[in-house]
Amino acid sequence: MPRILLVEDNEMNRDMLSRRLQRRGYEVVLAVDGQEGVELAQSDQPDLILMDMSLPVIDGWEATRALKAAAGTRHIPVIALTAHAMSTDRDKALEAGCDDYDTKPIELQRLLGKMEALLGRALPENSGSQEPT
Amino acid sequence: MNQKPFVEDIETYAQDIVDTVREPLLMLDTNLRVQSANSAFYETFKVSAEETESQLIYELGNGQWDIPDLRTLLEDVIPTSSVFNDFELEHTFPKIGRRVMLLNGRKLRAGSHAAIIVLAMEDVTERRRSEADLRAIETYAQDIVDTVREPLLILDKTLRVQSGNRAFYHTFRVSPEETENRLIYELGNGQWDIPALRTLLEDIVPTSSVFNDFELEHDFPALGRRVMLLNARKLQAGHHGELLVLAMEDVTERRRAEEEVAKAQAASEAANKTKSLFLANMSHELRTPLNAIVGYSEMLQEEAAEHDLRSFSSDLEKINASGRHLLALINDILDLSKIEAGKMEIYLETFDLNALIDDVASTIRPMVERNSNELRIERAIDLGGMRADQVKVRQALYNLLSNAAKFTQDGSITLNADRQLMDGEEWIVFQITDTGIGLNAEKIVRLFQDFTQADASTTRKFGGTGLGLALTRRFCQMMGGDVTVHSVDGEGSTFTIKLPAAVHEPKVEFRGDDHSRATDRRRTPDGTDALPAPSTCVLVIDDDPTQRDLMRRFLAKEGFIARSASNGEEGLRLARELMPIAITLDVMMPGMDGWSVLEALKSDPALREIPVIMITMVDDPERGMALGAADYVTKPVNRARLSSILSRYSCANPPCPILLIDDDAPTRASMRKMLEKQGCRVAEAENGEVALESMKSERPSLIFLDLMMPVMDGLSFADRVRTHPEWRSIPIVVVTSHDLTGEERRRLNGYVETILHKTECTRDELFQQIRDTLTNYAVPRAAAV
Repeated sequence: MPRILLVEDNEMNRDMLSRRLQRRGYEVVLAVDGQEGVELAQSDQPDLILMDMSLPVIDGWEATRALKAAAGTRHIPVIALTAHAMSTDRDKALEAGCDDYDTKPIELQRLLGKMEALLGRALPENSGSQEPT
Repeated sequence: MNQKPFVEDIETYAQDIVDTVREPLLMLDTNLRVQSANSAFYETFKVSAEETESQLIYELGNGQWDIPDLRTLLEDVIPTSSVFNDFELEHTFPKIGRRVMLLNGRKLRAGSHAAIIVLAMEDVTERRRSEADLRAIETYAQDIVDTVREPLLILDKTLRVQSGNRAFYHTFRVSPEETENRLIYELGNGQWDIPALRTLLEDIVPTSSVFNDFELEHDFPALGRRVMLLNARKLQAGHHGELLVLAMEDVTERRRAEEEVAKAQAASEAANKTKSLFLANMSHELRTPLNAIVGYSEMLQEEAAEHDLRSFSSDLEKINASGRHLLALINDILDLSKIEAGKMEIYLETFDLNALIDDVASTIRPMVERNSNELRIERAIDLGGMRADQVKVRQALYNLLSNAAKFTQDGSITLNADRQLMDGEEWIVFQITDTGIGLNAEKIVRLFQDFTQADASTTRKFGGTGLGLALTRRFCQMMGGDVTVHSVDGEGSTFTIKLPAAVHEPKVEFRGDDHSRATDRRRTPDGTDALPAPSTCVLVIDDDPTQRDLMRRFLAKEGFIARSASNGEEGLRLARELMPIAITLDVMMPGMDGWSVLEALKSDPALREIPVIMITMVDDPERGMALGAADYVTKPVNRARLSSILSRYSCANPPCPILLIDDDAPTRASMRKMLEKQGCRVAEAENGEVALESMKSERPSLIFLDLMMPVMDGLSFADRVRTHPEWRSIPIVVVTSHDLTGEERRRLNGYVETILHKTECTRDELFQQIRDTLTNYAVPRAAAV
């Protein structure tokens, strides 16, 4: 099952989202700040990263830039989680190299759709829809 | 030859002349008896020859000629000097009323005849009357002039004072004696000898007969520092020749009041910003726990379903729904406060309308069906896409549909979407029609006001904050459209949203440079202050109304705000008033032609930097470039070419950034921080080459340049910028830590605007200088945070 790295400093958000993802069968790795997120991405090689933007130590934009600059993590898709419809945050996230974004509060179905789209692109062998029916 | 007939001929001839003269004449013998009179006399006094001839003059009429003064003239003056002139006689004549007569007397000797006295009369009654009228008018005019509370000076052509009014003498504490017949510049110890006034009187006045509201600030010895508004009119005043009326209005207090208003406004804006910042923070604080409530209740619902705990599900659903409702309300309040604070952003993207409508319909359908309503979707076949803020369009539709669902029971709700052509532009029109309770006229009026629902009982019955419609309307207006409503009480309502199919980038207003410009700004003729120009304003100067209209439409389509002037003078005035980002200038115009306008623009330090695009029939780019035009386009205008030229002078994402070029990262960081505090957008480059590359994608409004840099140094960079036609008008400020050599100074001369020395002053002083530079170049800034 795909491994997801969730980088989120808010404990309740982290807890909620990770439990809901786990229930849907994802393996979830947790990081509480941008620095830890970058390190875990390198060591654990997740299939996808969910990145909060306002993070301590280094923020989500900088962490994403670091991930996209490093050969070992460049290929991992990153979904930015930004606050309620702040278009500047959204633009900044895409500029920093995020592959997609979603707004908080999380609407799980919408987020899952975006995750699956990226996982399907990044990991075609896992998608299971490759075979013609 | 017989002499007699010859003499008779002459006498007849003389009598003919006498009768032809239109002035009454009396011929008297030396005894003062009337020998004869001419026809004019009889006609004038309406008397006959019989009543007149052989009579003593004093007995004529009712003795009307028996006047002591006339007696003296006839009896004393004539015998000795044979002549008297212009004796004025005012008398009520029996048949013709009161008259003023001017009498002239001559004693003549005609050959062998006895001497006669010719008395000529001129009726000057009318002339005297009009002279009296004129005197009355002059007194009247002087009275008016004296009543006016503004000081007035009346100058002759040589700028000497003819007179001043009472207000003038009073205001400037001078006497008429010290004032009249003196040159204006000599008045009151030369207090009027002001360069600006000299320019006005000697350069402006001779070429135009009027000028309005020339603002003069001067330290008058008698009054202290005052701001005067001068108005002048040239008058042709009969025998006085050409006069100049100079009216002065002391606006010192008004200006002070205006400054105070501006200060108060700035303070209230600051307070408002604090409020919205507070709200933004506050709502973030409110949302975090709410997110937890919504999220965990949702999770628990899922878990309850998995564990088959159905009795928990409905309660968890209530917690979840209430949490969502509260979240929606907080979001509405935040949105509204953002709009009020001018912080709501428009994020334009191109999207497919069908997909949007499907999405909105699926979201709203459960709510519509809750009140047993039917949802109908009607859309034009060619609906296609639109360019707008998708989130706001969705929210607007959602708000109107959820209102319709709320106020309708057992009916239908229809969403109709159409693409329409209006005024040459494409619009997207959404109509949301319901068969619900409807609205009466009074309710419609209050409908779009913030926090107002149709009536208080509505809130109790239907819930909601009353913010939805207000927000919807503000969103639509921000995108250049609007919402309207048509409703019949009890029969339902139709809400119509009209939006441009391609919403223009929102204009950004800058207030930062307002203060510095307020003092030297001329006022417009109608007395309104010039508005700060939006960063997308282009001025079109063209005498042809069709061409102006075409340009205006074209520019509007390209996202610019076009203002136009029909001649050179108006163009120059508007350029000063609007400070547009570019000017398109027609060459062939009557009066002041395009070349003269261009020269005037380029010789005015305030306007010099505005790029001018010459629109010309003849392909003569050299002349335009030599005079300082930024570019030229030949007629008929090729739109694609004009569009590409204009895009170079506007930035896609205003305000245009300030470019910081310095190889030292900490220096860049501290300057960036300071500039951002000033509300500036900042771009950075570590050397000249990187800077040139970044300028290709975004034209900065101002450049701060370090000289000592690797790869490409500051001097070479300045060279490159100054030889580049699109960039040469960007002001460059050199910030350097070393002393410049003569050669370096020579190379920089004319290239850079200011040189700031890092080492000669403290960091704070340097930053202050940089802040001053921002003001000088009126760098567009968002409000400082």
